[in-house]
Amino acid sequence: MRGLSSLERVILECIGKQALNYDDVQNQSGLQENVCFNILQALIIRGILKTEGSLYKVSETISPLMMEEINGYEARKAESLELIEAVVDQNSERIFKFSKIAMDSRDEKIFIAMLSNLESFLKDAHVKAQSSVPLKDRKVVFWGMGDVQKLMNQVIVGK
Amino acid sequence: MTLQNKTIQRYRLFFPQETLREVSARTGIQITRVFRLFNGKPMKVGELEAFEKVINDKIAENPSFSRLNHIIEEAASLLTNDEIAKIADYLERRVTNKKYSRTYIRPLFDDVSIA
Repeated sequence: MRGLSSLERVILECIGKQALNYDDVQNQSGLQENVCFNILQALIIRGILKTEGSLYKVSETISPLMMEEINGYEARKAESLELIEAVVDQNSERIFKFSKIAMDSRDEKIFIAMLSNLESFLKDAHVKAQSSVPLKDRKVVFWGMGDVQKLMNQVIVGK
Repeated sequence: MTLQNKTIQRYRLFFPQETLREVSARTGIQITRVFRLFNGKPMKVGELEAFEKVINDKIAENPSFSRLNHIIEEAASLLTNDEIAKIADYLERRVTNKKYSRTYIRPLFDDVSIA
């Protein structure tokens, strides 16, 4: 499996359905010049991007197999883990909480309802600002919850 | 890819900016010979060993490397195929991301010049 790394995905998301030149890709992604250039070249070699003059576009002829490799569950999972790890490792302005919380069933329901509210708030915020905030200035947000025992068993089994 | 090409490519990953003169000094192989080897002349066993020795010495400078080697051997015998695949994917991603941050290196050294 190769999938896409979070860096490669950032470039693809910047380009999206548009045709962008190198400076636009670099400005929107916020990647260093050589990193941006190397990733663009790698994506072209893999057939995911193509060039039209000085513009970069997502190829329209990506095979279903390649599509699965790029957008499949495993690829998305690995990419999420990459970014979550980066958030945990962040040195400055780090916002990360991890706790084992004792919760009765009533509080659990309240918490799930709050998560649902949070999700709709984030969705609205994204719709409102997506045209004005470039990809490099967006925030990575994640949350999750699991039962300690189930998770421990999963760790032992290794799945 | 031949063993010779693989070795030269690995060498270049560890020492990407070295001139032929520096390669010669490090490996003990004559500079004109290094130039020929980088242009595809077949290597002698002793020359291959010289490159391998430099690479292994460089690797040995990092104390975590022997830990990594040890744990990979243990993982190969203990973990399931899926778990090993996950670790391999993780390492592959880390390596790919690191490569992106390096200056672009030509895979074949067709434009090396004598320093």
